Amino acid sequence: MATVQLDAVSKSYGSGPLAVDNVNLSIADGEFMVLLGPSGCGKSTTLRMIAGIESISAGKLSINGRVVNNVPARDRDIAMVFQSYALYPHMTVADNLAFGLRRRAVPKPEIARRVREVADLLGLTPYLARKPSALSGGQRQRVALGRAMVREPQVFLFDEPLSNLDAALRVNTRNELIRQHHRLGSTMIYVTHDQVEAMTMGSRICVMNAGRVVQTGSPLEVYWNPADTFVARFLGAPPMNLLQLPVGTGERLLASNDSATVPLTLWRPATLAPYAGQSLIVGVRAEDVRLGPPPDATPSGWFRGRIDAIEPLGAETLVLVSAGAAEVTARLGRDVPARVGETVTLSFDAAAVHLFDPATTTAITREL
Amino acid sequence: MLSRAFSRGGLMAILVAYTAFAGFPFLWVGTMSLRTTTEIAYNHYGWPSPAHWAKFRTAWIDSAFNTYFANSAAVVIGSVAVITLVGSAAAHCLARYRFPGNRLIYFILFSSIILPPQIVLIAVYQTLVEYNLYDTLWGLGLVYVSLQLPLTIYLLEGFFARIPQDLFDAAKVDGYGDFEIFFRLVLPVGMPAIATTVILNFILLWNEFLFAVVLIADDDLRTLPVGIQRFMGDHFQDIGMIATGVMISVLPVVVVYAFFSEKLIQGMTAGAVK
Repeated sequence: MATVQLDAVSKSYGSGPLAVDNVNLSIADGEFMVLLGPSGCGKSTTLRMIAGIESISAGKLSINGRVVNNVPARDRDIAMVFQSYALYPHMTVADNLAFGLRRRAVPKPEIARRVREVADLLGLTPYLARKPSALSGGQRQRVALGRAMVREPQVFLFDEPLSNLDAALRVNTRNELIRQHHRLGSTMIYVTHDQVEAMTMGSRICVMNAGRVVQTGSPLEVYWNPADTFVARFLGAPPMNLLQLPVGTGERLLASNDSATVPLTLWRPATLAPYAGQSLIVGVRAEDVRLGPPPDATPSGWFRGRIDAIEPLGAETLVLVSAGAAEVTARLGRDVPARVGETVTLSFDAAAVHLFDPATTTAITREL
Repeated sequence: MLSRAFSRGGLMAILVAYTAFAGFPFLWVGTMSLRTTTEIAYNHYGWPSPAHWAKFRTAWIDSAFNTYFANSAAVVIGSVAVITLVGSAAAHCLARYRFPGNRLIYFILFSSIILPPQIVLIAVYQTLVEYNLYDTLWGLGLVYVSLQLPLTIYLLEGFFARIPQDLFDAAKVDGYGDFEIFFRLVLPVGMPAIATTVILNFILLWNEFLFAVVLIADDDLRTLPVGIQRFMGDHFQDIGMIATGVMISVLPVVVVYAFFSEKLIQGMTAGAVK
């Protein structure tokens, strides 16, 4: 059980740009923190710095209040699960599980007990005498997880542990991890580029881009209030629809062009006054868009355009519409009464609108 | 079906032909080792009847092959052990650690492989004389280590560099230090490559003649390849005894190969670093 604190932590390799740039992050005891971002955003490097297998170029890393910048990995009391599983190929499953305990001079009967316990828990008992090469991907993953659990560390670190598994196994293992987190109550830090994993597993998500933390918050908070266009596009499948629209100057604030009209009822006119006559980035999530003209009762906006593609996914249907220069995706129900090539109107509530500054791409906070 | 049978048959034919090609000289020397030089001169390819097993005794005791064998074993086993340990440690360092001059050292080692060993013969002779190591098994062993170390490091570095970094990181997180990681992870995981270099070095050094003949003068310190030379006179070559000597000297090579090639195949099939 432990807290992990990163204060202005940076990592540089030679003279190039910073791989991790001034990361501030506070991870509470027992929290499941997900570091989420695209490849090369610095999330794995951050994790490896916490693990102690990558040095820290600047800043301060503390575990349980103790600064551990110069503490070697073996003295940090952390365990890590790797994307490649990193099982020792010359050892049996039992030896793989026991390897870390042997180094820590845990008495032999205690090692045997813990290995047995973890093997039972993860269904690995029949495979204890096997070498990793004789295991399936899912079994190897469980051995890797078991190797971390058997150590009973202060902090668990996961580096994209599910990315080598097939889809079905990934869902199972994901649930298994969530169960283990509830059972152990340990602090866990989990790196992934998969937003579904982030949304379903994390107590909190820390979205990273280009070495920097872009936003930290609970999964739904980040999903519904993205800090900038990067987060808006990165979280959500399909990503949030973003259109650049000129802001009007009338009494009722609108951003509109020929193929779209977006009411800006959630912002005070004074806030948007500096943008008058300019274009703003307007965002609407695909699930907030419906087929048909806006109802009169609620303040709504609309897009109009030609259907480029219809993608039936079974439970839902994605409809891609060219609204002027922009492409808008709507996530609709099972049956869509429209055909490709048809011109349609899509509408959405004014409450579903997000606004972003075109220069900085950061969100303009809703006020009303 | 028919074409598969044909291709199998063809493969078998090639394998049989190759085995015969490789095995015949061995068999020939084997038969000669049990025949006298007179018998061989009369019929080069004859079957040994009667088989002169006593020739082995003669070679072993009367021609001091027991001493040569012991000398060869001491120098070669010692050298191969040092080469393997130092070579794998150096290869691990070059493959895994980033430090200034890493690639420079690698380049220097690599370039020394290209030079033929004859070039350094006289320099090595002078050096050994200077250090009172001329005409000693220690001196010869040191030369053997320095001769084979670069190639060993080169071969092992290539293999060790392919061991995934994650394994090392996992061992570090599991609490192991650099030396323990080397002994508990690098050596066992690298066993297929290490076995290859052991076989290679053992065979090369066991048969080494040039340095052994130049750097050893005392008859009691001679190694097997030089010992066999005793059967070669200026005007007469005792082919029969040479064959017997060769059979004695080849035996350990066969044993080492049989033992380590098994390990090598085990290592390769167990595989799956991931």
